Amino acid sequence: MRSRFAAVCRYEFRMQVRKRSLWVSTVGLAVLIAVAQGDRGPRHLPAGTSAAEVMGSWALLFSMLLPIGFGMVLADRLVRDHRIGAASLLASLPTRPGALVAGKYAGSVAATAVPGLLVLLVTAAGEFAHRGDLTLFGWAVAAFAVVLLPGLAFVAAFALVCPLVVSAPLFRVLFAGYWFWGNMLGPAYLPSLTGTLLTPIGDYPASWLMGEKALYAGDSGWLSFLRPEPGGGAALLSVVLLAVLASLPLAFAGPLIARRTSS
Amino acid sequence: MSLWRYEARRAGWPACLAAPASLLAALALAAASAGFGASPPSVHGVLLSGVEALVPLAAAMAAVTVVSVDRCRELQLALPAGYSVTLGRRLGVVAGIGAALSVLFSAALRLTGSWTGPESALASALVWASPLLGLTGLALLVAVLGRSVVLATTTVAVVWLCQQLFASALAAGVWSRPFFLFMTSRVGVADGWGTNRAVLAACGVLFITTALLLLRRPERLLTEEEV
Repeated sequence: MRSRFAAVCRYEFRMQVRKRSLWVSTVGLAVLIAVAQGDRGPRHLPAGTSAAEVMGSWALLFSMLLPIGFGMVLADRLVRDHRIGAASLLASLPTRPGALVAGKYAGSVAATAVPGLLVLLVTAAGEFAHRGDLTLFGWAVAAFAVVLLPGLAFVAAFALVCPLVVSAPLFRVLFAGYWFWGNMLGPAYLPSLTGTLLTPIGDYPASWLMGEKALYAGDSGWLSFLRPEPGGGAALLSVVLLAVLASLPLAFAGPLIARRTSS
Repeated sequence: MSLWRYEARRAGWPACLAAPASLLAALALAAASAGFGASPPSVHGVLLSGVEALVPLAAAMAAVTVVSVDRCRELQLALPAGYSVTLGRRLGVVAGIGAALSVLFSAALRLTGSWTGPESALASALVWASPLLGLTGLALLVAVLGRSVVLATTTVAVVWLCQQLFASALAAGVWSRPFFLFMTSRVGVADGWGTNRAVLAACGVLFITTALLLLRRPERLLTEEEV
């Protein structure tokens, strides 16, 4: 069972990581973010700012847009298996649908995580050139793990499974709208998930790294019980909740795939 | 008529349903806002965003689908009918659905006193028509140039998202203001509104014309699946 999961994970990773559009969209978005961040962006943080704050700011900035590209890349992964006729072939393998989905999910997350991590490491190298602090690299990995990766895992789960129900094009429209509404639309303006523990943009973990409120974390609004004061505990809770939420669509993926394959 | 019905089927139900789904999302968000005590101007702003922001986003994503997901492209290219004409009909269906729904939605907002856009009928149409033309044109051009669903949809989503995020800065800048997609719902019918609508529409026409010129060699599109 474990070896089958590992095999699926490996082939999915290899397929995804070689996808040119994944790299082009990630690099394009990273350059756009780096250039267009404005005066308040992390590039303009004063000398002497802690490495954790610098890399936390960068990770938050990247997590605003990079997951959009990752979601678009992953939106047709499972649907495509049916479109090109590979689903029936995969169904004939001794691997159970659950292991197949889990392996594809893990491989997809790992493959999209590679460019995300590289972008942060390259950024750390750029910051190192004028700050001269080696710990920037360590904090880049930490910021990736707590800010970018949980959001990526969350987005990947929904991007893989939801198109099985609503189709990939419709998912992409709804995803773009959701990303703005659920992450960056101020909760004072409209009822939204922005500023709650359920924001995959990593508002709480970034606030913990930066030592101050990053965006809207904890702002009063809809679902007040999901808006504790930012801090280490709240950041950890946010990561755990995102992981739990990500597992929900994955639980339905096996039956959905089986139904589509049999129809 | 049967030809248009056929093209609608070829465009696919997700492409045809994208605009209605986006307006339903706007209605749901407006209802939630009203339910949680948002002021009437805020609720009206959400409804206006439905036609100015969400319908163009849906139409642009649907246009990418129409261009990129054609399983019979080789067959189409073997026919005497020009492929750009066929593609144009399918895009026309998608844009037509978005336009018809926007007109109906705008009319419903007027009848219920929730309309906060311009008064004249022609200007009202420009609330949704200009961003729809601009964003759909951009989607079409990137889809034809890049031959990749991911690149085209990411471009559209990022342009849309960045315009929402940096709305204040874009509306305030002299050079960025004419290219701001959400002028009516975020700023109102203020100075430069007409210029903004005209520039967006002109950009859309320019993008579509360039895409059509590129489609004079439709075999360019054949390899998008592997990109």
